[in-house]
Amino acid sequence: METSFAITGKGYVIVAADTTASRSIIKMKTDEDKVKTLSPHLLMAYSGEPGDTVHFAEYVERNIRLYQIRNLYPLRPSAAAAWIRRALATSLRSRSPYSVNLLVGGYDTASHDPHLYWIDFLGTMTEVPFAAHGYGAYFALSLLDRYHDPEASLEDGLIALKRCIRQVEERLVVTPGKYKVKVVSKDGIQEIDL
Amino acid sequence: MSIMDQNGGSVIAMVGKDCVAIASDLRLGNEALAVSSNFQKIFPITDRIYLGLPGLATDVTTLKERFRFRVNMYTIKEEREIEPETFAHLVSSTLYEHRFGPYYVEPVMAGISKTPSGGFKPFIAATDLIGCLNYAKDFVVAGTASSKLYGVAEGLWEPDLEPEDLFETISQTIMNALDRDAYSGWGCIVHVLTKDKVITRTLKARMD
Amino acid sequence: MNTLVQRFSTTSAQSEINKAKALAADDQDFDDFAWGSEAGFGTIAKGVPTFSLPAVPDPRAFLRLHTDDHADPNCRIKIQHGTTTLAFRFKGGVIVAVDSRATAGSYIASGTVKKVIEINPYLLGTMAGGAADCQFWETYLGMHCRLHELRNRERISVSAASKYLSNLVYNYKGMGLSMGTMICGWDKTGPSVFYVDSDGTRLKGNLFSVGSGSTHAYGVLDQGYHWDLSDEDAQELGRRSIYAAGHRDAYSGNTCNLYHIKEDGWHFIGNYDISKMHYEGPGNVPGSENVGYGYDVRVVGRSSANPPPSAPTPVVAA
Repeated sequence: METSFAITGKGYVIVAADTTASRSIIKMKTDEDKVKTLSPHLLMAYSGEPGDTVHFAEYVERNIRLYQIRNLYPLRPSAAAAWIRRALATSLRSRSPYSVNLLVGGYDTASHDPHLYWIDFLGTMTEVPFAAHGYGAYFALSLLDRYHDPEASLEDGLIALKRCIRQVEERLVVTPGKYKVKVVSKDGIQEIDL
Repeated sequence: MSIMDQNGGSVIAMVGKDCVAIASDLRLGNEALAVSSNFQKIFPITDRIYLGLPGLATDVTTLKERFRFRVNMYTIKEEREIEPETFAHLVSSTLYEHRFGPYYVEPVMAGISKTPSGGFKPFIAATDLIGCLNYAKDFVVAGTASSKLYGVAEGLWEPDLEPEDLFETISQTIMNALDRDAYSGWGCIVHVLTKDKVITRTLKARMD
Repeated sequence: MNTLVQRFSTTSAQSEINKAKALAADDQDFDDFAWGSEAGFGTIAKGVPTFSLPAVPDPRAFLRLHTDDHADPNCRIKIQHGTTTLAFRFKGGVIVAVDSRATAGSYIASGTVKKVIEINPYLLGTMAGGAADCQFWETYLGMHCRLHELRNRERISVSAASKYLSNLVYNYKGMGLSMGTMICGWDKTGPSVFYVDSDGTRLKGNLFSVGSGSTHAYGVLDQGYHWDLSDEDAQELGRRSIYAAGHRDAYSGNTCNLYHIKEDGWHFIGNYDISKMHYEGPGNVPGSENVGYGYDVRVVGRSSANPPPSAPTPVVAA
């Protein structure tokens, strides 16, 4: 059961995704990184149909990079998220749509605030203070309604994330296992070992 | 579960005396799970036209962008603002372009149009998801709470309401209809348009 | 004249009862049991209810086809499903909290449903799934709990009561009964909670939540739960968990009914509007800080923006 979380805090976004790559009932790999670095201040967690996920993520990654090469500056998080959403929405009405759910987290170096976008495979997008995909969302969102703080330090943000992970471990029939956790802030992207 | 119920949401527009009002909820859901309480479904097109787009959220965003583009192109080519009647036909033909693979959205629009004599006339209209225009003299509704909105609006609406009374009527209508719909709610926004200003208010709606 | 005829006619109600008594003459229990009002349990003969079944060769298969959600979502007998109910056991007894919304598709049919069934002064049952199924069988369970008291001169244990219910509904397995219930109470062994559902599952435990909003309730409940909760904190946890589910789940909401079971039986603590809890909190109740539970209410004025010290700080509107 794929699960991903993202939480904003004072000047950062934490993006976390489980590390299992499964096929049917088999775990093919338990250390897959499903959080992509799109630009120096942009992260994207992806989950969904195996195959689609990596292909779509790489397509996005290369195009965001191309923009940066052409224009000498990267897209801001809101613009990048809008472009990614549009790519999914267009793909939805194509012959073979991408079935990928995303959490796009970025730090806007111009306005000095973190942004988090919840995007599903249909191309539905909304900006939120915290988000989750997969069955974990059904446990984590109410938990974060109760415990999330927009001004939390990174330490407290990680405590909230650990609460979510523990909650899902406790209640979900098939536990996702380990998580890859990355943080984006004004200093760029940093990987965290929980 | 219909695809029109995937994300939930409802819009209503009403005619008053030299004014119109349009209101919507703010919920974005993923079936039963509510995801956002700040998902706007009503967009300003010009200073005198507001467009409500309840339905599948991905198409709401796509169509919002598409209409912005088309209205901008119109404004540049014609060197004037689009009139509500013209915009209604633009909405209709944009949707009919996708007759065999439609956008899952039922637009509702409210505007104040200019008459040839220089006066102003309230205008509301709605279309189905493939662009069949429906003009009304009283009110139009769409979205997951549409059946409930019809019921309350039939009971509360009366002709020639002043802007403040129209605001009260549309607010009471949408708030009470939302309370009977599981997929709409989580906040509420109302816009009242007159010939020279727009009043926008968010209402303290039920959050469950 | 008519009344006189009726009194002596063989078709009068009394003669029907006499007939039923004769049928069940070998059952000693029945005599006392059916005496006087049948209180809506008119289908009961011999102490076991009987129901008319569909006149088809295999009623079980027929019912499964027409009442089971998974078999055919379009052509089914609609059963009310959306709900959030929870019950947990702690040092100070049992907390039972439920929402009050009933939905039929997207339509909110009622916002004032009583989802806690007061079986007797020491036993509560919660209601999720088919409302009629829960109401009928838990009321029926109440009758048997009373019979147990009369026969054995002591109250039935929660364990025995829940086992009784479990066995009853198991007899109807596959015929479309739909219930997920928690039987809660206080007996010789102290506070206890049992989960019983129409599959025949019966589980003893500390903490359960049932219904479409249960995952949301668990998210708050699990994080706040421990055995040594004070009475006030436990009640607050029950309220907050139902609020969380009412907030996030489309099929749960309207109000929260809260019960606390102590050694002297259950106490109704209160009815709380979920939207009022969102904006203002539950009101002046012990255990609550009396501020809104809502996320946007709780974090109002707080911002994740992190402007450098030199830059002018953006003014946050209150």
